[in-house]
Amino acid sequence: MPVIPDVPARGELTAETYQPGSAEDFDRLYRTAYPRVYRTLTAILADPGAAEDCAQDAFVQAFGAWKRWRPDAPAEAWVHRIAVNRAISYRRTARLRGVGEILRRLGRPVHSTDPSDEATRPDLLSALRSIPPKLAAAIVLRHYHGYNNREIAAAFGVSERTVGTRLRQAGERLRAVLEPSFPLGAPPAFPSDTRESYAED
Amino acid sequence: MPKIEGDPLGPGFERRLRGELDRIQPSFPAPRYLSPTRRPALAWRPAPVALGLALIGIAAISAYAATGSPNPAVWTERVVTISHSSPTPPATSATPEVRKAAPPAAPARAPGHEASPAASNRPEPSESPEPIRSPEPGESSGT
Repeated sequence: MPVIPDVPARGELTAETYQPGSAEDFDRLYRTAYPRVYRTLTAILADPGAAEDCAQDAFVQAFGAWKRWRPDAPAEAWVHRIAVNRAISYRRTARLRGVGEILRRLGRPVHSTDPSDEATRPDLLSALRSIPPKLAAAIVLRHYHGYNNREIAAAFGVSERTVGTRLRQAGERLRAVLEPSFPLGAPPAFPSDTRESYAED
Repeated sequence: MPKIEGDPLGPGFERRLRGELDRIQPSFPAPRYLSPTRRPALAWRPAPVALGLALIGIAAISAYAATGSPNPAVWTERVVTISHSSPTPPATSATPEVRKAAPPAAPARAPGHEASPAASNRPEPSESPEPIRSPEPGESSGT
């Protein structure tokens, strides 16, 4: 069983270089990226087992296409794309089983909405899982993994404008869900972050 | 579409997101891509083998249904028999009668009666109901 090292600090992602088709490099990619991909999928999927399944399947698929990978975007971002697509498919099929889920939830007691109640404060991960998976993935890649808009766009094969739109929509939805219970902090008047803003032209 | 300055979620969101996700530890399973049966590149290779096995199975079931025997040797013999007993054209209709008239093969003989080379030269007994009688001395040949 491979030893999974600690998650590398953000900003070190682009330092990893891989040779397409190299089995040793793919093993290294797996050791480095698996925990991060798993965490991304956990933010999208409620079931840890499903997150693990989708993560493993993503690496299987990536390994099959490893020879054809082009270093246009970080390899980890490329695997993220595969994994997110897997998660989207999983959620799509899970919706078909939604009737059973609805029936299971019937009759559950309504939680207290007292914002001072720590236990009933809306869970951030639950909020992420409630929004479309592509939006949730964009948020996680940006705010947790530290990708910039260009890297996210290259990884997902979309334009930077699309990435900016997704980030903005995700932010608005999350703010609507989370802010009534705890403040997320007022957006700064001037961005102190050196990264580009959400909307890119 | 107006540009949005900064992060609409604020820095608190990143801290909270990092805290939530850093607590999640994967179970570090064995890499599934190393399992030869799981590799997507090999996904289609078993298909021809499976198809071949399926065809063989169908043929076996058909042969069993036709012969009533699960023994493949019986199936082979049946195929040979069918191919040899195939209907012949009218011009060669005499052939089956000649075949019928042909003497049976040797296996019918008892072990103690091995045919000697000289004996094999003897004329085979006729199937005519009346025995062939050599003319007695003094009798006319009956021309």
